[in-house]
Amino acid sequence: MKGRTWQAIVALVVICSLTSTPFGVAADQCRTCHEALGDKPSTLFKRDIHSQKGVSCADCHGGVASAEDMERAMDKSKGFIGVPKGDAVSEVCAKCHGDAKRMAQFRSMIPIGQFKALQTSVHGRLSTTGKERIVQCTTCHNAHGIVQVADPASPVYPLNVVKTCTKCHADAAFMQKYNPSLSVDQLEKYRTSVHGMRNAKGDPKTAECASCHGSHEILPAADVRSRAYPTNLPGTCAHCHADAGYMKAYGIPTDQFEKFSKSVHGVALLEKHDLGAPACNKCHGNHGATPPGVESISKVCGSCHALNADLFSSSPHKKAFDERKLPECETCHGKHEIIAATDKLLGNSQEAVCSRCHSERERAKGYQVAGTMRSLIDSLELLERKAQLLVSDAEQKGMEISEARFKLRDVRQARLEARTKVHSFNEGQFREVVAKGFATALVVGEEGQQAIDEYYFRRLGLGVATLIITIVAISLYMFIRRIERSAVHKQTSI
Amino acid sequence: MDGAGNMQSEKSKRDFLKYVLGGGLMAWVASVVYPLFAYLKPPKQAEVEVSSVKVGKLATIEKDSGTIVRFGNKPVILLRTSNGELRAFSATCTHLDCTVQYRKDLGVIWCACHNGKYDFNGKNTAGPPPRPLDEFRVVVQGEEVFISKNA
Amino acid sequence: MSSILKKTYEWIDKRVQLETLVEFMGKKYVPVHRHSIWYYFGGVSLFLFIIQVVTGILLLLYYKGSEQLAFESIQFIMSKVQFGWLIRSIHSWAANLFILSAFIHMFSVFFERSYREPREITWITGMFMLFLGMGFGFSGYLLPWNELAFFATKVGTDIAGVLPFVGKPIMVFLRGGDEVTGATLSRFFGFHVAVLPGIFTVLLSIHLVLVQRQGMSEPMGMEDVPASERKTMPFFPNFLLRDLLFWLIVLNVLAILAVFFPWELGKKADAFASAPAGIRPEWYFMFMFQTLKFIPAKVLFIDGEVLGVLLFGAAGLLWMIVPFWDRKSSRGEKSRLINYVGLFVVVYIIIFTTLGYVL
Repeated sequence: MKGRTWQAIVALVVICSLTSTPFGVAADQCRTCHEALGDKPSTLFKRDIHSQKGVSCADCHGGVASAEDMERAMDKSKGFIGVPKGDAVSEVCAKCHGDAKRMAQFRSMIPIGQFKALQTSVHGRLSTTGKERIVQCTTCHNAHGIVQVADPASPVYPLNVVKTCTKCHADAAFMQKYNPSLSVDQLEKYRTSVHGMRNAKGDPKTAECASCHGSHEILPAADVRSRAYPTNLPGTCAHCHADAGYMKAYGIPTDQFEKFSKSVHGVALLEKHDLGAPACNKCHGNHGATPPGVESISKVCGSCHALNADLFSSSPHKKAFDERKLPECETCHGKHEIIAATDKLLGNSQEAVCSRCHSERERAKGYQVAGTMRSLIDSLELLERKAQLLVSDAEQKGMEISEARFKLRDVRQARLEARTKVHSFNEGQFREVVAKGFATALVVGEEGQQAIDEYYFRRLGLGVATLIITIVAISLYMFIRRIERSAVHKQTSI
Repeated sequence: MDGAGNMQSEKSKRDFLKYVLGGGLMAWVASVVYPLFAYLKPPKQAEVEVSSVKVGKLATIEKDSGTIVRFGNKPVILLRTSNGELRAFSATCTHLDCTVQYRKDLGVIWCACHNGKYDFNGKNTAGPPPRPLDEFRVVVQGEEVFISKNA
Repeated sequence: MSSILKKTYEWIDKRVQLETLVEFMGKKYVPVHRHSIWYYFGGVSLFLFIIQVVTGILLLLYYKGSEQLAFESIQFIMSKVQFGWLIRSIHSWAANLFILSAFIHMFSVFFERSYREPREITWITGMFMLFLGMGFGFSGYLLPWNELAFFATKVGTDIAGVLPFVGKPIMVFLRGGDEVTGATLSRFFGFHVAVLPGIFTVLLSIHLVLVQRQGMSEPMGMEDVPASERKTMPFFPNFLLRDLLFWLIVLNVLAILAVFFPWELGKKADAFASAPAGIRPEWYFMFMFQTLKFIPAKVLFIDGEVLGVLLFGAAGLLWMIVPFWDRKSSRGEKSRLINYVGLFVVVYIIIFTTLGYVL
């Protein structure tokens, strides 16, 4: 034998006899040999948490750990599986990590549902070979150098997660095979966000991929169960952003979720499940999450409220707000706590937002316009209510008034349009819209009143007709009696 | 002698009764004839404003335009494309029930409330509307255009 | 005034010999007895029929009988045409009152055995008119083309279709197709305003001429009363005036009903919507409908429905030919059987009609 080999064998014998494990006096002979060989897995395994916990090579690879003899150690009949491939890898991990009793033996507090979660996640789907799942445990955790998540050396340590995920998700060619329409620039965008920048600077508390998407149970954002699904997303963000203790060091408010939940958008999204309402990502972005800049707020809001945004942008307020660095829509409507906009926001009273800048002495023109608009829209509301009452009354009385009921829609529409037209801050345009509503409301009110009048007219008419008929009937009866009496009279007198 | 007096009062009673009866009958006839004539007089709105709407003459509907028409109690939007085709859809937005309109500049059916958009097949293409618009049938008989519910 | 009338009378008389007619009319007498009150119901039925013709013609001026326009045209009549609401509600109420009055008239004739010789034809034409009346009701009910009517017609024509052999062709004939569609509406409209009125008029003329020629039937047993003690009143003017008085009151009742209980319009028919709960026929069909519901689905080898329809057909036929099998009455003898049969039918109809609404 060569000298080297002899050395190895001697070293082997020595080491094998010196090592001991919590399982018993018998040492992990696999390691003894493989370390002597100096191969990568065993080198990595030295730092592995499993090694520290006393898990042997055979616990994953099968075979007999205590056997010095290679043939006996790697005996297939004794369960040796060699290097597991494909799904067999995760099954090996799950043998312990999915078994509560097993994990209790190691006094471990790690959850045991990861494998199940992985199986039903989007990563648990079959790969292009069709023979195994896309992702195995080792894809993200590595095979032999596994350390705890809290260990900065772990590939799933918060600062390293991004690199781990983008291994596949930034690889356009790879993603093309599975989901060509999924973007691969998340990392780029992420690095422009506050989260990404802090993460790059070494802040493990800030959000990374797993914070929002989860780890084992990752589902497509369009899946209702996903943490990134619109109705779940605000809760996901709130996990950190509503935790005052967690966010203490960052100096930003933590009441956004609370405010949002009470807002129009929050109620629509979280309670009514209206997916048309924005979740956090609609205004802040997904991976490039940043609050919108001051001059672009109206564009962001305008992606749904297009008409209001257009009107605002071409109104005198746009320049005035931008000059004073006022955040456009937010100035009057708020950002997270947006409540349903009612007419109360308009006008000259204390509760109106206009009065914050406009008064009789300061910027008086605006003060006047605001007052006029408010009184016009109040009148329109009053007229609409009147018309509605009349139509309802007529309906209750059983009169056929469906046409007027239909026209009421137009009045409601005029009020809606008027509220939108406020954002032009132009009295002329506003008056035009309101005038249409006035005209229709007046017509409808008239028709309602006519129907009610007709109702009473019918009853009056009936009364008159009944009176006439009663008079005729009575006099006819008396006439008949008279004829018959005279006939009898004639008979008896004959 | 008494008999003669009786006869007189009898006669006046008879006349009174005849007057009342005659007058009453005339009033009755009037109370029947008046509604009859009023009924026969055509109402101001001469034709039934009807659901299976007769919209009007085909020639009066411009190409590349949309109008709102009343269909029973619901609004219906009638479109005529630039190559003359007629389409009709419910004009109630499937998001929050505002009335939609045709935007010639955008070439879509548009909802002013939250920027919802529908294409020429009524399919919701952008914005919050969750469902397409219900389609109605448009029929051209001779020169007249009719809208009716889709069979 | 009276001289003008006299002159007109003489002018017509020269050409038509009115004198003989007036003499004939003057000699008509109506028997006065305990049951005289029932004599009025024939007249009331006639009056209601005339009301139907008049209001029906008025409605014709505004009604449009197509699937697209029927419902809306009635909405139009109810809301836009002056007094349209009155004409329409009177028409709908009078239809029901007409059938009620016809039933009362028929039953009073039955119990009085007025159908006996020589009035068999009067009875038969009367029965046919009752059936036509119900046909008027059935066809007219569909004309507003509302939800309830649509499904009631569907069910009704379905029942017609269960008759063996002839059922299906009859159903297709009635519907103008296999299903109830706009074609059915057109047909029913034609039946309602042309076919049925035409046939009815012929039958009515025969019925009235016979009544005029034969005079009012007297209750059985009147022959025993000596002629001098039989009380009568002249038809003209006494009975006629009393008749008119009755008619006036009926007219007022109609007006009150029209104002306080206007006839509903409901929802427009939609063939693709599911049938709303509570589909029922009009009350005059209810007893038959309810009977059919009680008959089990299969009786021996016959379909329950077929059995029901055939039974009612047979019963109706027997009822119609009562003048021919009630020998006793033709002989002038009292017959308890008729009373029992009549009572049974009346009670049956009342009970089953009630059940139809209560269950």
